[in-house]
Formats: sequence, C-alpha cells, structure tokens
Amino acid sequence: MCRPGKLEGVDVKAVMVYLDRCYGCLTCSLACAAAHSASGTITGAMRERVPGRILVEAAGKQPVPILCRHCDDAPCVNACMIGAMQQDPVTGLVSNEGHTQACAGCWMCIMACPYGAIVQAPRGERMALKCDGCRGRETPACVMACPNGALAYVEVDDFAGERRLKLAFCLAEDMTRDSRAYGG
Amino acid sequence: MGKKRYVIIGNGAAAIRAAETLRALDESGCITMVSREQGPAYSRCMLPAFLAGEKNEDDLRIRAGDFYEKHGIKTLFGSRAVDVDAGRRCVVLEGGSRVDYDSLLIATGSSTAFPAIKGLEGPGLFGLRDLSDARKILDVAGRGRRAVILGAGLVGLEAAVALARRGMEVTVVEKMPHLLPRQLDPAAAEILRRDLDGVGLRMIMGTGVQEAAAPESSGAGAVWDLLLDNGEHLRAEMVIAATGIRPNVDPVLGTGMRINRGITVDGRMRTSIPEIYAAGDVAETRDVITGVRMLTPTWLHASLQGMIAAWNMAGRPRLYPEPVGIQNVVQLHRVPVLALGVSNPQDASCEVIAIHRPAENLYRKLVLKDGALVGAILAGDIRMAGILAALMRRKADVSGFKDLILSGDFHCGYLARTG
Repeated sequence: MCRPGKLEGVDVKAVMVYLDRCYGCLTCSLACAAAHSASGTITGAMRERVPGRILVEAAGKQPVPILCRHCDDAPCVNACMIGAMQQDPVTGLVSNEGHTQACAGCWMCIMACPYGAIVQAPRGERMALKCDGCRGRETPACVMACPNGALAYVEVDDFAGERRLKLAFCLAEDMTRDSRAYGG
Repeated sequence: MGKKRYVIIGNGAAAIRAAETLRALDESGCITMVSREQGPAYSRCMLPAFLAGEKNEDDLRIRAGDFYEKHGIKTLFGSRAVDVDAGRRCVVLEGGSRVDYDSLLIATGSSTAFPAIKGLEGPGLFGLRDLSDARKILDVAGRGRRAVILGAGLVGLEAAVALARRGMEVTVVEKMPHLLPRQLDPAAAEILRRDLDGVGLRMIMGTGVQEAAAPESSGAGAVWDLLLDNGEHLRAEMVIAATGIRPNVDPVLGTGMRINRGITVDGRMRTSIPEIYAAGDVAETRDVITGVRMLTPTWLHASLQGMIAAWNMAGRPRLYPEPVGIQNVVQLHRVPVLALGVSNPQDASCEVIAIHRPAENLYRKLVLKDGALVGAILAGDIRMAGILAALMRRKADVSGFKDLILSGDFHCGYLARTG
C-alpha cells in the first residue's frame, strides 16, 4: 500500500537507523540543532539554545536515535487540530512548519506519535518540534554528521527491501502503514 | 461506469479528511460537500483562542484558501441537509432540492446538549460548538463583564480561560467534585486547579444549578440569575453550557439507520444502510480498551474515521485501526495534562501505580489490567505519551517494565530489536 497522491517515478527517501553502528555520540542531534539554528553552527545553536530534533536515548546499554519516521497516514497529521501538521504529497515529509496555519502547541501530535518523536519546544513556547526532513538539503544534517554510518538516507523502495532482510522494530506499523523502520 | 458521485454532509475534521482522501484515491470522482455553515472549514478546537482574541477567523482555517477549488470539490455551504432518501440515493436539502449520491458520508458532527435545568432558556445562553456560537458569545462579552460556565470539562474550561483572558469575571460551576471529571482523578485535577489560579477563575465544584432566571430582554443590562444547589445566587450577562454533546443525527432519522448514542458503524465506517458511511462526532465506534461502543468526539478520531471512510467509499476496503477511544490533552495555562483510556478505573482488579509530586506540578499515573496498560494520566510531563497510547492499543504486556514507563524514561528504543 502506498500513500495516495504519491507520484510515480519520484524517489522518496527516508532515514534508516542501523542500531549496531550507533555509539550514542550525539553528533546527529548537535548537527540537527545547528541546521535549525539561525547561525547554522553547533556553537551558534547552543548559544541560541536550539534543541536537536533527533533524540538519542539509552535503552539499557544500547543508544537509540529516535526520529520522526514520516509515516504515511501519520497519526500526528490526523491529530493536528489546526492543520499545521501536514504531509507533503510529493516528498512524503511530515512537518508542522511552512503550512497555512502555525502550530498552536496543543500537543495532540505528541499524544498521537507512537515513536515519541515529537517534543515540546523549550522554555514554555507553545510549539511542537519534530524532524522536518531538512527540507532544502539534499541529505538531512543528522545523516551527514553521523561519523559511524548509523544513519543512512535511502530510497524507500530499497529501504523496504532492506527491511525484509534486517528485522525491524515497528510499534506502530498497523497504525501508520509503511512506517519506515529501524534496521539492525 | 461513469464518475462516482461522493457526497459528504459536513465540513469539519472528518469531512475534510474524507474529501482530501477521496480526491487522492479517485481523481475523477465528483465530490460534493454540504454544510449548514457558511465559509471554509475551521478548527472548532481553536474557538477558545478566537474567544480570547488570540486568533482571528482566518487563523482558524484548517486548510489553505484554495482547498476546495484545488481538490475539485463542489461546495453547497449554507445548505442544511434535512433528510436522506436511501432508496433513491439522494440527500434532501432544506428548500427541497436534492443531491444524488453513489456513496454518502454523514459527518455532521455534534451540537451542545443543554442541561435540563428549570428556566435555562433565553438570550445570553450559549454552547460553544461552532463559529456562530463564538461570534454570539463575543457580542455579549462586549457589553457584559460576567460569565458563568456550566461544566468543568474540556470545552467549559477552555471557554472559561478564554473569557478570563478577555478580562471577564468567570465562574465555573461543576456538579462533580473535581475539574475534568471524565478525564482526571482528584490528584491530577488539583494540579490543574492550582495551575488555573494563575488565570483567575472562580470555581464552584460539587454543586449543580437548581434553577435559572433568564433576563427579560436581550439588550444591555440583561442579567441571568442562577440559583445553585448550595443556595448561592450567581448573576452574569452570559451563561455557557458545556455539560455535554448530542450527535447531529437529524438528517438520517427518517432512514431507519441503526442509531444508538451516535450512528453505529462497523470497522469500515459503514452504517446499517448500504453506501452510507459515518465519521466523526456523529459516529459511534468500538473502544479497543473496553470493547464498549462509544462516541469519540475528538479531532484525532474524527480525522482518522473520515480518512478510513473515504478509502472504503472509494472502493478500497480498509479497516479502522481502533485507536484508544479516550485521548485528551490540554494545556490551559502552564501545565499540560493528558488522559488516555480508562484513567479512573472502577474495576478492582486494575492495578494503579503513580508518581505524585504536587510541588513540581508532576503527576504520572498508569492503570494496568492483566499486565496491559489500560489507562494513564500525565500532568506536567507528557513526553512520549503516544507510545503509551500505542502500547495500550496493542494490549502489550508491560508488567516487566511498568516502573520504567511510570518514571517517564521509557522510549521506543526499548522496543527496537537488532539482528
């Protein structure tokens, strides 16, 4: 099954996570913050106090990067009561920025996301923050920055094949269809 | 076969999601939306922000201005659907004109159910369901300084906070002993109540309204007098009823369609009549946690149901994934509160574990039954709440890591597998 409106012949790419290559260095998160800061640098992002939108959490001894899977029929899109969270029909990217309405910080998307990939903006700002797929960049900043190849930006079709080989986790797959998953 | 004719009655969350999904699945089908309201789709959930003066009408729109045109949707707005002739497959509009359908979606939403209180009828009494309610409320707010809100549920509290932000003197009257009685327990409600101290509301809990005296005219100086069960009189220029809703089933009452509290639908959002579907506040679905059929009058459920209905209407069978039926989150002032599933279990076999740090405005409560999560309340810290909902839906056995979930440090990485 695919997303209705998805164009034939357009490559849709997604970030694949190879858990066995992640050492939890947080470089991805810092690069993400830099990419979303005014200055565009890691130190600038720290000064601006811009958070990374990819989280790295420890599961026992295993660090796990947690990031938006840009699900088709994403629960966050259905949950958004202002229409700020939408999926781009061509790229498949899901974002609450750059649409007619601005995010109101109602947190419905946080309640809906089965991956916990959406967070509240810091310092009480009423805005939900999530991966926007680094629109405008050829490859997302987190993937570019990962020194270990734990993150890869791959075409979804390849990805699906890869997923068949490498057992994936998907808490939400029947909620979201084609939730792009984790490989190991 | 010619172009399929899809008709949607409604223009809210379920209707819009259905319309855009239909267009994505069927490029050439004719889509007609019928709505009693004028104007483009807007977010009912944002009406409090409109009341507070933080958003204007344009800010409430949920889709871009060219939505209907771009999706090739014919709009019959300002037309009330009064009947459905299922035999001839047409919708009858007020005035008698007919709209033929091959596949029909009832997404008519819900209306305010005004409580049965003696004398509660007259000018200055409102619900808060649609934009016209909000405009009327603002009109009276312009000349009155006091408002009484009946009901401390989500709609009531949001309306109360919005009017208080406008500088009105707001009193909330709630029969039950605590705020958000359907969602919260006393501990979480107390955190919310203290958060609302910063807004300046008067809250009268555990008391109902015995009798109401409406103002004799609707002009300036028109004042309501409410007599409470505790003997107190409240005077106010407006009264907002937020004690419940009533699904808008009127257009299908003559069809013989199966209706319980709402229109009962199956897993494909089909009603008991062929080629008629229902979604949103008007539809009654099965709750995955309790197995009980219920109304799910929330945005999230409405959009998902609209989307699923559209797939089935377009001849692409797809099942409603039955999300947890009760999912609410709200931040009225500084502290977000969230409730999922059976948050106040009556069943003694449920296990309840909680962290309660009122000084930090923090409360986390999990309700488990036979090792599976069936309910939760989170106040102050709502991180990763969606994972809880997903675990609940899956009926996953969480007994081995319930304390980790309770701590707030659980994340989906624990469910990832390598190799």
